[in-house]
Amino acid sequence: MALVRTLSLRAATLLGVLLTVLVLLVVTLGSTGFSDRILTAVINEEIRALRTAQATQARDTDALEEALEVRRQELIEFYDLDKAWWERMPATVFRVITLDLGEARTLRSSEGSRRVSDIVLERLPNTAILLTTSLVITAVIGLAVGVKMATRVGTRLDRTVSFGAAISFALPAWWTGILLILLLSFQFNILPSGGMFSTPPPEGDIARFFDLLKHAILPIITLVLVSVGPYLYAVRTMTLNVAQEDHVLVARAKGLAESAVMRQHILRVAAPPIVTGLILSLVGSLGGSILVETVFNWNGMGRLYFEAVAGTPDEGLIVALTFIFTLMYVVARFVLEVLYLLLDPRVRYSG
Amino acid sequence: MNATFSGAVRVLVGSSIGKAGLILLGFLVAVSVWVLVTYPLDFGTREWSNPAVWADNPKAVPPTWTNIFPGSDNVAHATLTTSEPYDVRTAGSVTAETYRLPLAHNFDGFPTFISFSLEPVTFQGRPPLITLTLERPDGGTVRLLQHVPSGGRDGETGPFVRYLDNPYRILLSTEETFRSALADYHNERYGTDLGERDLRGFGDQAAFGTPVAGDGAAFEPLQGEYTFVVTATFADENDSMEGAKVVIGGDVFGGMGSDSQGRDLFVGLLFGFPVALFIGLLASTLTTAIGASLGIMSGYLGGWVDTAIQRLADVVANVPLLPILIFMVIVLGSNLLLIILVLVAFSWPGLTILIRSMVLQLRSGQLVEATKALGASQRRVMIRHIFPQTAPYVFAQMIFFTPAAILAEAGLSFLGLGDPSIPTWGQILEQGFRTGAVYVGYWWWVLPPGLLIVLTAMAFVLLALAIEPVLNPRLRTMR
Repeated sequence: MALVRTLSLRAATLLGVLLTVLVLLVVTLGSTGFSDRILTAVINEEIRALRTAQATQARDTDALEEALEVRRQELIEFYDLDKAWWERMPATVFRVITLDLGEARTLRSSEGSRRVSDIVLERLPNTAILLTTSLVITAVIGLAVGVKMATRVGTRLDRTVSFGAAISFALPAWWTGILLILLLSFQFNILPSGGMFSTPPPEGDIARFFDLLKHAILPIITLVLVSVGPYLYAVRTMTLNVAQEDHVLVARAKGLAESAVMRQHILRVAAPPIVTGLILSLVGSLGGSILVETVFNWNGMGRLYFEAVAGTPDEGLIVALTFIFTLMYVVARFVLEVLYLLLDPRVRYSG
Repeated sequence: MNATFSGAVRVLVGSSIGKAGLILLGFLVAVSVWVLVTYPLDFGTREWSNPAVWADNPKAVPPTWTNIFPGSDNVAHATLTTSEPYDVRTAGSVTAETYRLPLAHNFDGFPTFISFSLEPVTFQGRPPLITLTLERPDGGTVRLLQHVPSGGRDGETGPFVRYLDNPYRILLSTEETFRSALADYHNERYGTDLGERDLRGFGDQAAFGTPVAGDGAAFEPLQGEYTFVVTATFADENDSMEGAKVVIGGDVFGGMGSDSQGRDLFVGLLFGFPVALFIGLLASTLTTAIGASLGIMSGYLGGWVDTAIQRLADVVANVPLLPILIFMVIVLGSNLLLIILVLVAFSWPGLTILIRSMVLQLRSGQLVEATKALGASQRRVMIRHIFPQTAPYVFAQMIFFTPAAILAEAGLSFLGLGDPSIPTWGQILEQGFRTGAVYVGYWWWVLPPGLLIVLTAMAFVLLALAIEPVLNPRLRTMR
């Protein structure tokens, strides 16, 4: 029962996060007058379009102006612009939290739908491909090299890799991407500089798959380069910490083989924080995807966010997307909690 | 737990990684101090975003030192300014001043442009006559230009001053007289059949070349000593000209090249040093100050204060930083201080949670018990007895958070959301990326700013790595 209690407590906190972020967004938009400005601009735009359309037919300009004024009032009422922002707020919060994300003003999905949820569902898999692939590669390299380093602390290998990890941490993902484009795409012309498919995309599913793969190489290398350093360094430190516990000494004294000591007595104990580190780096690259996808013109969630904020900001879309980002973040965190419980018996039993 | 602040510093200096970090940091600080002393504080608005300052620079060209690469022989950028007159002749009240501006042109190429500008000219009645003549290595002399500043307007009384607020600056190749003078020169000397129209777009080549046999305007570079001769003829002895300038646009420019607006990237990159340090250090100082004090309060005071702070930390720690940062900048406007404040507002929880767990142990320690027994107030215990024991951790966190803040601002700038009044490395990179510099290979525009960001972040990451053994004694024994 303790397990359920712990988990539901975490779930409640994470729900709290979602709600807090949402309220923060809406309050910021409302209290700064940003929301009013955007809505007014939308209405003005609509009225202007209407006037241009009607001007050729209508003879009586006074009547036209009157009709437009009536329409304007309708729109103001429709958008609730006649109410103060705090009166509009609860409805917005409720709408978004029930995943009714509304419609985008200019962005469309490839099938032409303007519903934000359609657009998000179309872009989400593209981001997932990038993030999960690079996560798996990071995990494999990080575990292999990190554990190796921990067994050879102070050697030249350890120092070199530590230094490399520092560089990896200091590298901004987007600049690494630019560097790779400059080198592999511009200088040597081996790989495409951006986009997800060649233009025109090749015929056939297999050809398309390899085309996608070719376009994904640079973004994935970029993501791995910037996340692997901190991760393998963390693995090294955590393994090292456990390796000096008394129970490891006992295991060695029993005459267990070094590989068995490493597997059963060191890594088993270090597993929870190692997994935590991995998920945290995934969570970190969620935000980073905004930059990496912009650099590589990758049609994912990150670039969608960038498109929503660039130019005339689309208020509804920004709120919806920031919410979705937080949601992804929170879900990742919850998965982490569950994994932690599965891996660490102490948490499971003590409650 | 028994780490001390001075111990932390000793470990830092003792390890080779720490030394490397300190040397890097020293370099960054030295450059920043130099920049702060020599640059105007409003550099961003007054110079960097002011196109007039950069008008005479070639656009998007690589640094001058690229000429050391084999096979590249690019025309160097040259700015020739008048100083002392070479010759002054007087006849009655009329004075003629002559200035000679020599230029060695030893490149296999032509200038990208030639511009001529005048500094303020003062005259009493009749405006002076200013001429520009070119002496070429082939022994010929071409009068390129004559210019007379506009005279006194109705109701305006002397002395007249021209080009004080609106400087006189022309590109020679856009002047008809320049082209026809060169056409005449080549026709006479080399027997070509060129007209003024033929030289449209070829004026600079005609000035620095000899015609290639065949039809049309084709020139090959003529290497050797050129001299621009500026002559100013004044009608009154009190008339004067403050100076004149001839700029030969190069294919290479300065120490770091130029961007597509002709801005000297070296100057811009230097300004980025203090800005990056300012962002990193201010953000990390504020974050650690908030994080540590909330952590100490949470751990020491306990009760509802503890619960409230921990719940808040839990929520804030789970907010994705970059989306929120982007959102806030879009809504509230791009301002460097705002960016730093938002960074701080969402970054403190990690430290708070760490410090709280430490304080929980310290609280029941003998030192604190004894101090309380002596009647110390809660505030005094927290500030004088608990904080010093957590100081090394706080210090380490501060170092660790600095590069994170610098990278976050750079990322934001890269999305075009940086503070437009303060140029940063991220913004220079963004402009390079946005104008397609990456896809046409303008490496000097995108590599150096990124490298500097990495270098700055590296300095702090190395320090953080070096200080780690202080906090985790197990790592120390192994080295």
